[in-house]
Amino acid sequence: MKSLLDRPAPTAAADLTLRRGAARVLIDNWTGASTVPSRTLYPHQWSWDSAFIAIGLRHLSVRRAQQELESLLSAQWADGRIPHIVFNPAVPDDAYFPSPDFWRSSTAGRAAGAPASPETSGIVQPPVHALAAWLVHRADPAESRRRGFLTRVRPRLAAWHDYLLGHRDLGGGGLAAVVHPWEPGMDNSPCWDQALRRVEPAAPDAFRRADLNHGHPADRPTDLDYGRYVRLVTDYRDAGYDDRAARHTFAVEDPCFNALLIVSERALAAMARETGADASTHSARADALTRHLVTRLWDDSAGVFRVRDLATDALVGEDSVTGLVPLLAPHLPPHVVSRLVDTLTGPRFDAPATRLVPSYALTGHAFDAQRYWRGPAWFNTAWLIHRGLRTHGREQDAERLRRGFLAEAGRSDFAEYVDPTTGAARGARHFSWTAALTLDLLCADPKEPTP
Amino acid sequence: MLKTAAQEQLLPGDTLQAKWEFAQEAGYDAIELRGKGDFHFASRLDELKKARKDGVVMPTVCVDMLHFLGAFDADLRRDAVDQMKSQLTVIAEIGGRGAQTPASYGMFSRRLPPFEPPRTEEEDREVLLSGLTELGEHARKEGVTLFLEPLNRYEDHMVNRLEQAADLIRAIGLDSIRIGIDSYHMNIEESDPAAAILAHADVIGHAQVSDSNRFQPGAGHLDWSAWLGALHTIGYDGHLALECRLTGDPLEAVRSVPAFLKRSGA
Repeated sequence: MKSLLDRPAPTAAADLTLRRGAARVLIDNWTGASTVPSRTLYPHQWSWDSAFIAIGLRHLSVRRAQQELESLLSAQWADGRIPHIVFNPAVPDDAYFPSPDFWRSSTAGRAAGAPASPETSGIVQPPVHALAAWLVHRADPAESRRRGFLTRVRPRLAAWHDYLLGHRDLGGGGLAAVVHPWEPGMDNSPCWDQALRRVEPAAPDAFRRADLNHGHPADRPTDLDYGRYVRLVTDYRDAGYDDRAARHTFAVEDPCFNALLIVSERALAAMARETGADASTHSARADALTRHLVTRLWDDSAGVFRVRDLATDALVGEDSVTGLVPLLAPHLPPHVVSRLVDTLTGPRFDAPATRLVPSYALTGHAFDAQRYWRGPAWFNTAWLIHRGLRTHGREQDAERLRRGFLAEAGRSDFAEYVDPTTGAARGARHFSWTAALTLDLLCADPKEPTP
Repeated sequence: MLKTAAQEQLLPGDTLQAKWEFAQEAGYDAIELRGKGDFHFASRLDELKKARKDGVVMPTVCVDMLHFLGAFDADLRRDAVDQMKSQLTVIAEIGGRGAQTPASYGMFSRRLPPFEPPRTEEEDREVLLSGLTELGEHARKEGVTLFLEPLNRYEDHMVNRLEQAADLIRAIGLDSIRIGIDSYHMNIEESDPAAAILAHADVIGHAQVSDSNRFQPGAGHLDWSAWLGALHTIGYDGHLALECRLTGDPLEAVRSVPAFLKRSGA
């Protein structure tokens, strides 16, 4: 076990306070086998939240970090998909919408392999899980081996990636597509506006939002967007969540989603080597995904990766943080890396009031400083970009981002996101992944490689 | 980093000075004393003062008797309170922080026949409030703290969880009474030990450590990093005092604990 003493210890009083505050959030939001993203706004288990949470939890309790991922994987469908929400049966249906009786996973999803219990959603979120599992393993390899952690999770994670590349390569170009704006995790990003306009919204009386009970309407997606989200889920559900049978009116290839698949394939390769299995399939997949990412989603004139709308087979002309996250991929062409760093530090993403990266270009026509993924700066994307900068040896930029992240996390009381023009905290406070990634930036070895 | 202490009976050597030498070499920061009845602890005052002069660090004493402040028998109860008062006085005299006691130990368990104790819950509470108030006032006068230790359900029927101890302490309202938590008992009684530490952070004063099987930390299956992480989170600045049975070579077992706790996040 790598001793905590061997790691760089936060010595400054501010770091200690921050570390205590972050640990408190994670202990408070732990529910016994997993962590809720927020006690008020998000009362169940979310897929990519759990992965980010595990990355921080490994510094507090390796065992809890393992449980966090394994409880999520226990709700995996037989077709390999990891649902984006695993519902806590103890929470009333009306605490969150869409609720289990809307998704109906155990009945509508039965043919696709949904478990009889627990109830889950039927869509997915970005595949950051294998990266998280590898980082959790690395935090204490002896404990991981003793508990057989990798042996248990590796086949499940491989099945998850098989699902994405086998069922979701809807464009035929070797990348995984997403079929709902919630899948790339950036729910109301302007990147989806064009594709969403083709979707007939569900009638407003067909659903009742629960997110406005605790969240401020100005911070949340609009009602019209919500109607479209509901329509897409209804159609997918009515097709039995079968990707081959469903007629996906919304299908896009997202840079962040596929970049995470690349590093997660590399994490699976590392796990395979660690457990004496063959790593070559995963390495080859990561290399192929990297090539396809650059071929299909790199926009050289814009200096950023862009979303490909599969209905038009064209790139969407919006500059979003999703287009910067691919910095995380280690084998990008050098000129792509340089251009990405230029874009990151240029007028589109260099925010006046925060070092964090705005979710959408400050100069973009749809920029909204307060509304969720249409401008606010988020902590998980900053963490990913920080890691990407380190991966490509941009230490100074990485360190600046790390310091900015920590300052913002403490100042905002671990907010869900911040207004990039004023620095004001928005959304939920005591947000789990903000606290978890704070802990990671305080405690992880800065030289820890991304696989 | 959290400091560690070992109870004196776990350390080899005929004198506290010899035990301290071993303890320091193993990485301990202090020795936790054991306080026997019949005013035996007070009779050791010269020995303790000498040890203190020789540099032995002794912040706490843990009671080592068979009757306690919550005894059913009024005479035993009276004696237990008198013994604890004496122990508080002695630990104050040697510059320590406080003395630890459970409400009772081995007297009654609601999980074992005959299941129903001879006293009602209200009577139990009255007895505890009365004894703790007397001890708390005495501790305050001496400038030290009384640590009330919740024990698991098989060892005590009155105070099993932190919330029960916290409730008594808040009812009395004296800063000189705090909870002395014990990882082994918490593992049995608390649904989430780390969360319990956060919930009652303001009244936690002392901590004893042993693993899930009552052996030394590292010999069982407690999630030490979560438990210690919670103590860090509340800014706990007392000791982690080793009170356990030993498995394996006893000296090696005692020697292994400071390093194990540090590796686990202490």
